[in-house]
Amino acid sequence: MESFFYDNKIVRDFGVATVIWGIIGMLVGVIVAFELARPELNVTRYTTFGRLRPLHTNAVIFAFVGNGIFTGVYYSLQRLCKARMFSDVLSKIHFWGWQLIIVSAVISLPLGYTTSKEYAELEWPIDIAITLVWVVFGWNMFGTIARRRERHLYVAIWFYIATFITVAVLHIVNSMALPVSFMKSYSMYAGVQDALVQWWYGHNAVAFFLTTPYLGMMYYFLPKAAERPVYSYRLSIIHFWALIFIYIWAGPHHLLYTALPDWAQSLGVAFSIMLIAPSWGGMINGLLTLRGAWDRVRTEPVLKFFVVAITAYGMATFEGPMLALKNVNAIAHFTDWIVAHVHVGALGWNGFLTFGMLYWLWPRLYRTPLFSKKLANTHFWLGTLGILFYALPLYWAGFTQGLMWKQFNAEGMLQYPNFLETVLQIVPMYYLRGMGGVLYLSGVFLMMYNLYQTAKAGTLLANEPAQAPALLPEAQDPHAQGGHWHRWIERRPFQLAVGATVAIAIGGAVEMIPTFLVKSNVPTIAAVHPYRPLELQGRDLYIKEGCSNCHTQMVRPFRSETERYGEYSKAGEFVYDRPFLWGSKRTGPDLHRVGAKYPNSWHYNHMMDPTSMSPGSIMPPYPWLFDNQLDKSTLPAKIRVLQKLGTPYPAGFDRLAVADAETQARGVAAALKTEDIDVKSDREIVALIAYLQRLGTDIKVKPAQVAATAAQ
Amino acid sequence: MIRPGHALLAAGAVLLATRPALAQTAATSTPAAADSTYALVWFLLSTLVLVGMVFLVLFVALISWMRPQLRQLYNLPTVHDTWSSRVLGLLVGDARLVQGEVRDEVLNHDYDGIHEFDNDLPPWWKWGFAFTVVFALSYVTYYHVARKGQLQGAEYAAEMQQAALFVPVGGDDPNQVTTYVALTAPADLSSGKSIFATNCAACHGANAEGKVGPNLTDEFWLHGGTVNNLYKTIKFGINGKGMVAWKGKLSGKQMLQVASYALSLQGSKPANPKTPQGEKEAASKPVAKL
Repeated sequence: MESFFYDNKIVRDFGVATVIWGIIGMLVGVIVAFELARPELNVTRYTTFGRLRPLHTNAVIFAFVGNGIFTGVYYSLQRLCKARMFSDVLSKIHFWGWQLIIVSAVISLPLGYTTSKEYAELEWPIDIAITLVWVVFGWNMFGTIARRRERHLYVAIWFYIATFITVAVLHIVNSMALPVSFMKSYSMYAGVQDALVQWWYGHNAVAFFLTTPYLGMMYYFLPKAAERPVYSYRLSIIHFWALIFIYIWAGPHHLLYTALPDWAQSLGVAFSIMLIAPSWGGMINGLLTLRGAWDRVRTEPVLKFFVVAITAYGMATFEGPMLALKNVNAIAHFTDWIVAHVHVGALGWNGFLTFGMLYWLWPRLYRTPLFSKKLANTHFWLGTLGILFYALPLYWAGFTQGLMWKQFNAEGMLQYPNFLETVLQIVPMYYLRGMGGVLYLSGVFLMMYNLYQTAKAGTLLANEPAQAPALLPEAQDPHAQGGHWHRWIERRPFQLAVGATVAIAIGGAVEMIPTFLVKSNVPTIAAVHPYRPLELQGRDLYIKEGCSNCHTQMVRPFRSETERYGEYSKAGEFVYDRPFLWGSKRTGPDLHRVGAKYPNSWHYNHMMDPTSMSPGSIMPPYPWLFDNQLDKSTLPAKIRVLQKLGTPYPAGFDRLAVADAETQARGVAAALKTEDIDVKSDREIVALIAYLQRLGTDIKVKPAQVAATAAQ
Repeated sequence: MIRPGHALLAAGAVLLATRPALAQTAATSTPAAADSTYALVWFLLSTLVLVGMVFLVLFVALISWMRPQLRQLYNLPTVHDTWSSRVLGLLVGDARLVQGEVRDEVLNHDYDGIHEFDNDLPPWWKWGFAFTVVFALSYVTYYHVARKGQLQGAEYAAEMQQAALFVPVGGDDPNQVTTYVALTAPADLSSGKSIFATNCAACHGANAEGKVGPNLTDEFWLHGGTVNNLYKTIKFGINGKGMVAWKGKLSGKQMLQVASYALSLQGSKPANPKTPQGEKEAASKPVAKL
C-alpha cells in the first residue's frame, strides 16, 4: 500500500471560479437579453449588444463551463487514477493562466477587439495563451494518468482524453491567422472555406467542450451520488467511440442553404441524424443508472439537478438533428429557435450538471453537511422555471418569425415585406425570456450563498489522504489479462489518445480538404474584386462593432429571401472575405445586398439614430462613429498581410492604400454633401458607409437574367 | 395504438393535399373543377383513413383475443429465441425485446467505488441507431449518387418557376408605359396615406417635406411628376440612388394609391421643406382632398 494525498485545494479553487464566472457570464446574458427588448439599454459604446454578446458566450462557455470542467476533472481524475495531480505547479499555472485569459476576454471584447468568429472571438495573442494553458492542462492530465495506481482507465477518462485532443485541434486550426498588429489579425481562410472551418469548430466546441467533458463528469459524479452501478459498460464503449467519430462531421448543418457546396451540406445532414443514438446512449446510460435510486431523487437536490441535466441533454441532442434536416432548418435557421435550442443545452445540461456537482462536492471538500438542502431545492425550482421561461417564449418567437419571413400573400407578394414588422412581433417574447434569465440567475445566487455558508461551517481538507497499492508491471498484474476486448485499450492511454485522434480527424479532413483543394467547390466570379482600402477599414469597423451578431450576409436561395433582399449569395462572392461574415442570427435584416440600395444619407442618419429611418427599430445608435477619426495607419500593414494571404492587390499597393482611402472618403463625403449632410471625410462613419455600399454589388444581376435562371 | 396510427395517416393526407403537383393541377383547371378535385381527394383520403382505423382496431382486438395462444406458441422452445419469433414476442408484449436483457451482473472492477453493470445495449437503441445509419446512407445516395432529389439550386429554380405563374404577362417590364389616372376617392387616398406613413415617411418625411429622399410637395421632380411616372418610380425604384423598388412589397393598387396620395400633397407647403431637386413640372394633381 502506498499513501498519498489528493489535491482538493485546486478543485475548490476551480469550483469557486466556476461560480463567480457563472454569475458574471449569466449577468451579461441577462443584460444583452434586455438590450434586445429595450434598445436604450445599449448605453455606452463598450456595452452595445454587438460587443457584449460575444462576452456573454465566451464567459459562460469558457469561464463558467470551462472552470466547471476543470473542477470535475481535477476531482475525478485524481480518484480514478488513485494519484495526486501530476504537478501542483502545473495545476496553479493552469488555474491562474485560465483566469487571466478570461480577464483578458472581459477587457478586450467590450473594447471591440474581436475576430468575429463565434466562440473564437479572442484575438491572436490570447489564442496563443489559450493554446499554452491548454497544453499545461494536458501535460498535467497525462502526467497524472502516467503515474496512476489503477490499471484501467474508466470511461470518464476516455471522455477527458478525447476532449483534450479535439479541443486542441479545433482551436489551433480555426484560429490560424496572420497578425496585422498587436490585437488585429486576418483569418488564414476566406469566405466559404472560413465558414466551413469556423462551423467545424463551432459545432465541435459544443461537442467537445460542452458535451464530452460533461459526459465524463456524468459518468463519475452520477454513480457516486446515486450510489448505483453504471447501467452498461458495453453501451459506454459504443456510444463513446460513435459519438466522437460522428460528431465531427456534423458542422456543415450550421451552413444549410448557404453558399457551402451541396455535398458538404448533405454530409452535415446525414451525420447529424446518425448522431441521435450515440448522444442518447449517454442519456440512457445516465438515466438507467438511477434505477433503484429514484426514491432518493425526490429528496436529494444533487440527483434532481442531474436528472434534469440529463433529460435536457437528451432533448437538445434530439432537437439538434431535427434542426439539421433541411426543411426544418429553412424555417428555424437565423431565428430565435436556435437560441432557445442552445440554451436548453447550456442552462439545462451544462448548468444543472455543474450545480449538482458543486452541491455534491462542497460538503466533501469542507467535511460538513450542505448548509441548506432547502435552499438547494429552491435553486432547483428557480432554475427549472428559468429554463422554461427562457426557452418556451423563444421557441414561439423563432417559429413565428421564421414563418413570417416566408409568408406570401394571395397576390404572390411578401406578406411582411418590412423586416422590422417581424421583429416587433416578437419583442414581448424577448421580455419573457429576459425574465427567465433572471429567474435562472437568482438561483445561482442562492447557490453561491449556500456554498459560502457550507464552506464557512467546515474546514477545507486541502490534502485528502488516500491509500492504494502500487501498480505492478503489466506482465505480473492479474488484472491486466483477459476480459472484454476493449480492456486492452483501457490499459493504454497513448493508444487510446491516438485512437481518439484518428476518430476525430477523419470527418474534418474529408470535409475540409476537398473544399480547399477542388476549385469547383468555390466557382470564381470575374466581377468580384478585392475591397478598396476604405471599404476594408469599414469592414473592420463592422467586425469591431459586432454587427455580424445581428445581421447575416447570406441570402439563401429561397424566393422569400430573394424577393426581400435580392439575388441569393454565391460562393465566389466571398473569396476576399477574411473572416467571412455570414452570421448566424437575423435580429436585423440580411445585409449582403444592402450595397447601393439606399442613399449614403440613409445610412448616415440610420447609424446616428436607427429609429429615424426605421421607426421602432431595436438597433442601437452608433454616435461615436461620427466623432472618431478613422485610423488609417494600419492600412499598409493590412494590405501587405492580405497580399501574403493571396488577395491580388497590385505590388506596392500598400504604399498607395492610404491615399486611395482618402480619395474614396472624399467621394463619399462629397456625395453626402449633395444630400445636405456635412461630414468630415476622415470619420469612421465614412468608411463604414463605403463598406455597406459595396456589399453584394460586385455581381449585379439584371432582372432579365433572374427570369432566365428561373425558367431553366 | 390507434391514435398514433391515425395521426400518421392524417399527416400523410395533409402532405398529399399540399403537394405542389396537386396544387398546380388545381391552379390550371377552372375553380369549380379545382374544388371538386379537392373534394374527391379529401373524400378518398378520409375513406382510406377510416378503413385503416377499422383494420387497426380489428387487428388489436384479434391480437388481444388470441394472446394466450400466442404466448403459448412464443414460449415453445423451438420458437423462442429464434429470429422470426421476435415479431411474435412484440405482439405478446415481451419487454425484453425492447429493453434488452437486464441481468445487472456487476463487472469485476472498481473505480473509486464506482461499479459497472454489463447490461445489453437496449434493442430499441440499437435498431434506432441502425435506422439512422440507413437513413443517412439513403439520404446521401438519393441526392448525390442517384441524383434524384433537388439540391438547393434546382429547388430554388422550381420555386421561382411556380411563382412566375403569379406574374401577369408583360407586367414586369419597366419600359411599359402605364396609363393610370390618379385616384381621387377618399378611401383610396386614405389608404395611400397609411401606406405612405409606414413605408415612405422615413425617407421622404412625415409630411413628404423630404429628408433622405426628395421633397414631394413642390413642383420639382427628378423622375417625372405624372402619376404614371410616380407609379414607375415606386414600382421599380431608382437603382443606386436609394429609391427602393416596391414591387413585390406593395400591390399594384397600393402603389397607385400611394402615388395618388403623394400627388394630393402638391403645394401643401409643409414645415422644413427640403431644397427643390430636379425639373420643374406641373404635376397631375388629384382633385379630391382628404
